[in-house]
Amino acid sequence: MGKYVLRRLLHGLISVICVVVLVMFLIYSLMNREKIFASDSAYTKQNNNSKVTYQYQKWEEYGYLDYVPYSEYLDGLVSSGALDSQTRDAVASIGRTPDKDSEATAQYVQQFTEFYESQGYTVDRLDAITSRSGKLVSGGQQTLFAHRDFPLLRRAWNYFVDMFFIDSVNYVPEETDIGERGITFTWYDPVYGGEKFSPAIIGNGTYHRYLLYFDDQFPYIHQNLLTIRLGTSYSVNRGVDVFQTMTQSQGAYVLSTLTFPTGLTEESADDLHTATYMSGSRDMNTLNRQRFTDDYTNVETFKTGMSKMGYSFVIGIISTIMAYVLGLPVGLAMALRKNKLLDKLGTIYIVFIIAVPSLAYIFLFKAIGGSVFGLPTMFSTDSASKLMYVLPIVSLALPSVASLMKWMRRYMIDQMNSDYVKFARSGGLSEGEIFSKHIMKNAIIPIVQGIPASILFALTGAIITERVYVVPGVGNQLTDAINKYDNGVIVGVTLFYAVLSVVSLILGDVLMATVDPRISFSTKDR
Amino acid sequence: MEKIDLSALGMSEEELFSHVDHSKAESEKITAPRYSYWHSVFRVFFHNKVNIVVLALLGIVLLLAYVYPAFVDFDRYANVMDGTAKHLSPAAAMKAYGVNIHTILGLGGNGESTWDSIWFGSRISISLAFVCAAINMTVGVLVGAIWGFSKRVDMFMTEVYNIIGNVPYILIISVMIMLFTSSFWTMVFALTITGWLFIAYFIRTQVIIIRDREYNLASKCLGTSTIKIAMKNILPFMTSVIVTQLATEIPSYISYEVFLAYIGMGMGEMSLGRLIYAAEGAMVTPGWEFEFWSPVAIASIITVVLYVVGQNLGDASDPRTHM
Repeated sequence: MGKYVLRRLLHGLISVICVVVLVMFLIYSLMNREKIFASDSAYTKQNNNSKVTYQYQKWEEYGYLDYVPYSEYLDGLVSSGALDSQTRDAVASIGRTPDKDSEATAQYVQQFTEFYESQGYTVDRLDAITSRSGKLVSGGQQTLFAHRDFPLLRRAWNYFVDMFFIDSVNYVPEETDIGERGITFTWYDPVYGGEKFSPAIIGNGTYHRYLLYFDDQFPYIHQNLLTIRLGTSYSVNRGVDVFQTMTQSQGAYVLSTLTFPTGLTEESADDLHTATYMSGSRDMNTLNRQRFTDDYTNVETFKTGMSKMGYSFVIGIISTIMAYVLGLPVGLAMALRKNKLLDKLGTIYIVFIIAVPSLAYIFLFKAIGGSVFGLPTMFSTDSASKLMYVLPIVSLALPSVASLMKWMRRYMIDQMNSDYVKFARSGGLSEGEIFSKHIMKNAIIPIVQGIPASILFALTGAIITERVYVVPGVGNQLTDAINKYDNGVIVGVTLFYAVLSVVSLILGDVLMATVDPRISFSTKDR
Repeated sequence: MEKIDLSALGMSEEELFSHVDHSKAESEKITAPRYSYWHSVFRVFFHNKVNIVVLALLGIVLLLAYVYPAFVDFDRYANVMDGTAKHLSPAAAMKAYGVNIHTILGLGGNGESTWDSIWFGSRISISLAFVCAAINMTVGVLVGAIWGFSKRVDMFMTEVYNIIGNVPYILIISVMIMLFTSSFWTMVFALTITGWLFIAYFIRTQVIIIRDREYNLASKCLGTSTIKIAMKNILPFMTSVIVTQLATEIPSYISYEVFLAYIGMGMGEMSLGRLIYAAEGAMVTPGWEFEFWSPVAIASIITVVLYVVGQNLGDASDPRTHM
């Protein structure tokens, strides 16, 4: 069994990788990249050459290609010591056309071209666009740059390598002076004033300040040593990782009296445990200077609401439980009273749910729930009322109830007509015994297989339900990302879905094998 | 015992009494009542009175969606300049423009007749569903049959299924819509490019279940060719499965189109989904409700009718119900 699961996991891992490569191909190679400018007002204001460079800058930010302007190349030479800044200034400005370059400039332009062309880049030089009087037109500045599309496999490789981020003391660049690098362990967490007993591991030189700490939030012990990065958002939630977007709490700030590292005591919602390194952030900001003693200033905040995934999961899991609690007994009862009133009513319900567009019945329930029962039809993170959960949960449970009813009835009827039931009856077993010990046990097996999937997929949220009731969940993340060409998020969310689906299928098979001893996955047992 | 007047039957002596030879060939024939498959299918189907009602309803829907628009000159923006014609409830519309078929459901946000726009939208949605179902079912059943039969193809296709099945459907559709314009045929392309795979997988499972049954094994031992086994032994078994699958497929495309339009990825034409999407705000505005609920109701009626007809046709095409 263990071997089999391992093999399945390995197989699943390969297909997940293929899915990611395929999705990358779809969004980076197939999709028309001009479309990202369709609703970009800054783009329409650009003209001539600057429009072209603006395009390449944006494409680099969206992750399509690597874009190197000539000046960036010179800056690189300066910081590596191959060029002094006086020469840089002298050769940085290129002529309006190549033949107007000064001799030194021409030499560096030549060097730039050769260096990047040897690496497979395309080097483009756009000559100045001038009006008849010899003046530059708007955006007509001459420019020189190199660009290269990321090869698909390299992109996928980099993605998987960067996915697991292990924090180390060498995170902060070597030339930065941040005092002694190292990891220290303390029994008394300085965030709590250094007197309360609370073990913590603190790093200096690492990305996260606190690598391990305790607090009063679930699950009470937190680590930052290993972080999962699914992909950085560009347009939806700028610079924030998908995984963080999904798990970050939302809503209004929770203020508490907080003592900052400088000793400043203030009402603040900052969570000092989440401090991360941001180069030069202390010097740039007076507020940071008052609060922090070093560059570990980037903190998250405490908020009243749950995370996106939290809301989706709460709604999803309750509706799943409801669906099983309601759907299975009703399906059973329908099978027992085949062709009676209950069976017919149940069948009408099933047909209604399967055939009618889900949008239609969700709106119908919203209208009924709002007007007849007076339930809140809009979700709000500020509201403490638990009633706002009712309609989303009911709307989400409706289709699952129908499909569970349908399958339970089908499996029960199939089992009731099989030969072993007739044999058991002829053997003198009571109907109750046949029912509970034979039919039920066999009918439930295929149902059991679907349980892990329905629990895990509660994590992904529901697109329509969340949209209709304005639930701040994860359901709309993918559609939002697609609409805004947020490629990093699309890849991240797809990967998350694919992993869930692989894991839930394996768990389903394992669960089925535990319930039914006849099913065996190891070839040896047969 | 009653006496029969032979002369009243109007038959000649020869017809009534003629000598029949003993024929060896004739005695070998098996006498069974005449059985025609499709005849039985329709007999069983029309035996259920519900089906006649639902079929009539389907006929009306198709007539309104395909024939009615041919006789009506409908321009969505004909009244767009007329400020008084916007968002009228049925009562107000009838008062302003008289009681006729166009005002029966009121006027929409551009002053267009809700009744007309629903049926023009239905035509697009139903056409989309039929075209997609036809393509997906044809490709799906053919590929599924080969997939189920050949073990080598099975290995390969299962891997393909595991990968493509995990790529979000919405992503594929939106990439296709972005690649081309969001027209009717792009939508068909987007819905069929991977849609057949799921049907093929379903058919493959069914083929595998039937493929290794004893009667097929026996048939193979007697030397029946694979094609004949597929056509004569397996296909009749599959007919009801295919029809039942078709019954769930067609309404599902209408539902899916509505869903896609609602999340803003629909096609350019004013299909039912687009109508619902456009009128979403009207749901909560007093007096405008008809604009929203009419397309919702019609979409529901169309899908339910198609589903019920298909399911019952699927039941009737199962030879086991013909006894």
